[in-house]
Amino acid sequence: MRNRMSRVTLTRRKALAVTGGTALVAVLSPARAATDRTIRIAYPAAVATLDPAKFRVGGLEYNYAHCVFNRLTAQDNKLQVVPELATSWEATEDLKVWTFHLRDGVKFHNGKPFTSADVLFTYSRLKDKEVASVLRAALGVVDKIEAIDPLTVRFTLSSPYSDLAAVTAQYQAQILTESAMDTLTTKPVGTGPFRFVEYRPGDQLVVEKNPDYFIPGSPKVDGAIMRIIPEYTTAVAALESGAIDIVYDLPPEQLDILKDSKVSRIEEVASGSWLGVIFNNAFKPFDDPRVREAFTKIIDRQAFTDIAMFGHGSPTVTPIPPAHPFFRADLLAPPDIPGAKKLLAEAGFANGMAIDMYFPNGSPVNERLATAFRDAAKQVGITVSLRMAQEDKFDSEMEGKIAFSVDGFFGRPTPDTMLYAWYHSTGSWNNTLWHYNNPEVDKILDTARATGDKDEQKRLYSRFQEIVAKDGPGCLCFVRNFACGVSKKVQGFVGSPQMWVDINNVTLAA
Amino acid sequence: MASYALRRLGTVLVILAVMSLLVFLATHALPASTAAMILGQYSTPETLAALEHKLGLDLPLWLQYWNWLRAMLHGDMGQSLVMERPVAPMLWDAFGRSAILALCAMAIVATVGVAMGVVAGVWRGRWPDHAVSIFAYLGIAVPEFYWGLVLILVFCSTFHLLPSSGIGNLSDGVGSYVSYLILPVITLTLTLLAHVSRLTRSSMAEQLDSMYVKVARARGLPEHVVIVRHALPNAMVPTITVLAQDFGFLIGGIVAIETVFAYPGLGRLLIFALQRQDLPLMQAAILTLTAVFCLANLGADLLYGIANPRIRHGGAVE
Repeated sequence: MRNRMSRVTLTRRKALAVTGGTALVAVLSPARAATDRTIRIAYPAAVATLDPAKFRVGGLEYNYAHCVFNRLTAQDNKLQVVPELATSWEATEDLKVWTFHLRDGVKFHNGKPFTSADVLFTYSRLKDKEVASVLRAALGVVDKIEAIDPLTVRFTLSSPYSDLAAVTAQYQAQILTESAMDTLTTKPVGTGPFRFVEYRPGDQLVVEKNPDYFIPGSPKVDGAIMRIIPEYTTAVAALESGAIDIVYDLPPEQLDILKDSKVSRIEEVASGSWLGVIFNNAFKPFDDPRVREAFTKIIDRQAFTDIAMFGHGSPTVTPIPPAHPFFRADLLAPPDIPGAKKLLAEAGFANGMAIDMYFPNGSPVNERLATAFRDAAKQVGITVSLRMAQEDKFDSEMEGKIAFSVDGFFGRPTPDTMLYAWYHSTGSWNNTLWHYNNPEVDKILDTARATGDKDEQKRLYSRFQEIVAKDGPGCLCFVRNFACGVSKKVQGFVGSPQMWVDINNVTLAA
Repeated sequence: MASYALRRLGTVLVILAVMSLLVFLATHALPASTAAMILGQYSTPETLAALEHKLGLDLPLWLQYWNWLRAMLHGDMGQSLVMERPVAPMLWDAFGRSAILALCAMAIVATVGVAMGVVAGVWRGRWPDHAVSIFAYLGIAVPEFYWGLVLILVFCSTFHLLPSSGIGNLSDGVGSYVSYLILPVITLTLTLLAHVSRLTRSSMAEQLDSMYVKVARARGLPEHVVIVRHALPNAMVPTITVLAQDFGFLIGGIVAIETVFAYPGLGRLLIFALQRQDLPLMQAAILTLTAVFCLANLGADLLYGIANPRIRHGGAVE
């Protein structure tokens, strides 16, 4: 009696569940397709903060910011600086005084008109030690910011700097208004194409179209729901079933799954995010340039790209990516095992060596790159022991304090921002990561940032790549592709090398 | 009974007090410092010290603990260091959503699991018993996140029957809301069903072999009366304890399930806090989970006391 009863309960439960589920699919799906022009995008990680000045995680943070805010300048998909809230700008001959002319008639989402006072407020906040923005270092050259009139701002620099208009295009430099600071971390207010609706931590961030946006006809969708889905398998299933329109930044392991899909496609673009093998020059044996060169000669960049990224990347020599006009493709040398052996013998390692190689966990790409190096190194008698470290511990305690590791960084917008911090002897990254000191490189980087002449810059950065290809502090292997899974309903999607999803010009087909 | 309940409640309070200290110390012993996490790649000793001072992380540890405990006792969970918004509303929202998952799963486990155990116990060695055994071994042997992914691939990718992730909106109707719960709840249930059904089966089998059941049968009572009136209530006593223990298991499972199904509950919030070293959020979330676990155990103790008078009178168990 009891048994039968429980069996009935079980079936009734299941029946209810199944009816509920199918009813949902039947009732909601057609209605949604016909009326809803809200685009739904999946991101793997939540935002840490809604305050742009404090961004450092990337992903959803940057993408939300580009919806809600604007910067003075922006960069297009070819990394050219283009106007945003500033319509034009000019620098004096010595590159020390920059004047930005602001767009007229722009309003914040709370109705307040946008003026030079907002620019002053935003930048003084970015330079504030208390705010601890990551952009503060790049703004170190800025001595003074003044408002000439409500629509003109002047930056005075302590030394000539040719890339200021690219710094004002950085993610953190979103223009805020002092009138809405109390709700910055709960309901941020900007001038951007979308208005902030709500953020449910760990769940979703919702924005709606800003009907008063200063570019008429943009955006074309009514709004966006940015969902946080940590498992890629789940996100891809949602894309395949039509619950999601775009999956952001798919790892190479997931790309094959979507290759034969009927409802979605992969949009892939080369990014500036690089990965490489890091030699800490402050430690033995990497204080010896011959060892660094020998280790570099072992590496088959194309093979490493195929192994670590399943081919979804491009070999590179320095952080200047292959797509950049200054890139020196001729420096991509094939591996040279006899040459590596010779150099190692000269450095006193004729019988090989044993060395520990560290890498942060959580990224299969890092793991595969480290394994590829371990196997390649066997050819010259080097025994590599792989040591995986907890990611947060690696970043905060190990980086710079270990001799040998695998690591990678996001791309930066211009050659100066890509290189200076990593290769100049005073660079912030150089001094935490690999302690490289080459006076000629210092001179090149200093000269290049102080000239506005593109040809001169090209000559200097070309020479820089030559030097670093031979005597570098590490061996960069490749830049990775930025890939998104995109539903076939989405039209007008263009992948950005800066790894953001531009939804201003995207439309949704029924 | 009242004094027994009070004694148990006292124990729970002591445990919670000790746990608060442990949680506080453990979160402070984590390798990376909060300030270093917030500043990340760009931290310098100077900015690090300034931020630690601002966050109060440079105070002596005992003072930090006292400040934190006092605030917690006043119901003030503080401000998330990373998100810069109050912890309490976020935590309660997430807690409510996780509680729905947990309660649905518990309800299914308590009914279906017990029923499965009874079936297997009554038809010992015959096919219903084997079927339950195979199901139980599959449930125990395979981790729940794996079942989650399998269910997503079958029900979402292939057949498009159910949503793969997220949480439904009650304003879209109850059917829609429930459809989002089905897969996570089933996944959560699988392991626990196995646990509870195995245990109920063996205690049921034990009771059915006991003297009083034989006597009942000898008196000519119908078999269903023997099972439901006599054997089952006694077989349920160990099951109640295991259900409470499973509640702890469930909390662990929820962290994995919420990640697989992108369900915005307490588990996800906790992972976020751990990844970003958000101390106030982390401490509040862990302490909440601890409290839930303690209260579930308290509930089990009380139920057990009701079911088995020897316990509440301090008599020896076993």
